[in-house]
Amino acid sequence: MDTIIRNGMIADGTGKPLFTADIGIINDRIVEIGAITGQANHEIDASGKIVSPGFIDPHTHFDAQLLWDGAAKPAIEHGITTIVPGNCSLSLAPLKAEHRMKLVGMFNQIEEMPHKAFSEGVTWDWETFEEYIERIQRDLSINVAPLVGHSLLRLWVMSDAAMSRAATPEEISDMADLLSRCIAAGAVGLSTSFVDMDERLQPVPSRYACTTELDGLCKVLSETGKLLQVVHEFYDTDLTLARIDQLAELSLKFDITTTLSPLFLNADNQEGVQAIMKRVDAQMQRGARVWPQVQTRPIDISFSFAVPSLLFIRLPSWYALMRFSDHDGIKAAFEDPAKRAALVQEASAMMPLWSVLTLRRVNTEKNAHLVGQTLAAIASERDSNPLDVMIDLSIEEDLDAHFLAASMGHNDDLAVADLLKQPNVMIGASDGGAHILSFSTYGDTGYLFSKFVRDCAAMSVELAVQKITSEPAEIWGIAERGQLKPGFIADITIFDAATIARGEEYYVQDVPGEGFRYVRDAQGVSQVLISGAVAYDQTYGYSEARTGKIV
Amino acid sequence: MEPLRQSILPKPNDTWESIAARNLGQLNQDVAIAQLQSWNLHIFARRVLTEDGELQQPILPSDIVFIEPPKPADPAD
Repeated sequence: MDTIIRNGMIADGTGKPLFTADIGIINDRIVEIGAITGQANHEIDASGKIVSPGFIDPHTHFDAQLLWDGAAKPAIEHGITTIVPGNCSLSLAPLKAEHRMKLVGMFNQIEEMPHKAFSEGVTWDWETFEEYIERIQRDLSINVAPLVGHSLLRLWVMSDAAMSRAATPEEISDMADLLSRCIAAGAVGLSTSFVDMDERLQPVPSRYACTTELDGLCKVLSETGKLLQVVHEFYDTDLTLARIDQLAELSLKFDITTTLSPLFLNADNQEGVQAIMKRVDAQMQRGARVWPQVQTRPIDISFSFAVPSLLFIRLPSWYALMRFSDHDGIKAAFEDPAKRAALVQEASAMMPLWSVLTLRRVNTEKNAHLVGQTLAAIASERDSNPLDVMIDLSIEEDLDAHFLAASMGHNDDLAVADLLKQPNVMIGASDGGAHILSFSTYGDTGYLFSKFVRDCAAMSVELAVQKITSEPAEIWGIAERGQLKPGFIADITIFDAATIARGEEYYVQDVPGEGFRYVRDAQGVSQVLISGAVAYDQTYGYSEARTGKIV
Repeated sequence: MEPLRQSILPKPNDTWESIAARNLGQLNQDVAIAQLQSWNLHIFARRVLTEDGELQQPILPSDIVFIEPPKPADPAD
């Protein structure tokens, strides 16, 4: 044996009750589960720990990060061994050189990825999907199940017309051929978007696709057994219901699996979510495969006025200022009495939100004592109001005052637990690697165990493991992964059920271009093996193993 | 299955006029268009800037277009 994991409590991914056993590994495969005699080159003592299949994160945007960090840190330390990038109609290939900046603009607007991360972290040495896959495979620690973005297919085939009209039959045929080539190179499916806008606030290319085009692409998915992911109008129940029916018809017509994300459970849409799940259940009963993705974590959003934040998307003057102005322009607008008055007037209706914001971070010593206080409290101290305090602090901090809107939604733990447990819900929608200046997209799996298994006692550890291992593997068609079983690939996560958690969120400068992001360090994850090799160890950190695969 | 609020996916080159004529033909056209627009603010409130700097309100080929008002809440729910 190359490796034996001794005495672990096995959660094999199927939901079967925990049992104590050893796991033997040769090369990249599990060869035996039981009481194993003899020695291995490498032995891991898992006494008292849960040994489970590696977790699968089905909704990420690690496309760019994989070019400078093949481990997609900190995903692996949270137990994740397989990620699905390329969601929401956006992948990084296939992409002609002339469209690179257009795509960077989309990633910046939709996924809040900084321009500088691309300009300083990415060497654009690919165009085709095959070339991109070859490029990321050079330094891959984590497994990647990549989607190909519909907007990219349109840009490749239609160029700028992709953003203004429906495709011709010839163009649809060309897109179908291109999708076939991407799938042959390793794509696990197609992603599309019905809602997103680019950097100029124009609809992304996929939104110009007519039903004939979507049918043409789904036919390719049907022929190859691949999946369709969509981001839908998640803020509206009636639109979501209509999309579920649309996806169900596509699923039945083409015999494909579809998934839509995200589905949030907020205080004001509990009835809506019930209606949505009732429809999903009914469509699943008909034989359609329509999987809503639900995230585990509540919605927290951090922001400063140094970069645009989607928190302001419903305040046109604010959002336009953040999106289309620069640092000096934003500061000048805040300091100009007339412009400031107009901004304040537009945002006044949201005073309850501004009141509960917390000042998260400042640079000056004079404001340091205010960190951790709500804007309402600071306003009281300054004899002002929370909105003016937000503007004043931003001016005082040269726009580098950071604010936190905590627990804005999806935060009724018991109701969210009930949703996560439903058999027709896929746990996902982490957005890993995106929105890096708004919130940490890492640690949702730790939160699943700490909040819903441990704190709420709302689900068993076996079910939680199943929901993030064998279930997504089956839905996404990821073969030989997602279960602990002889013959399967040895993607394995070892964790302490009593301590696993997502860790505190903190701000770190580790993004190319001297960029920052919010991250969380895992707690309670001892070791993570990918294809039989230890990729992460709680004591020693990340290893040099590069055993990640395109799966 | 329970019927949902009725909607359509647009046909190529659909406009408010063509959708109104096809789906609300029993109504005066101006009234029908006004109703459609009020039921579809996600489309009607859209502003798209063209390359020429012109603001447009296109109905996109992938849009869901409702052809009836929201259903009243079911008191049984």
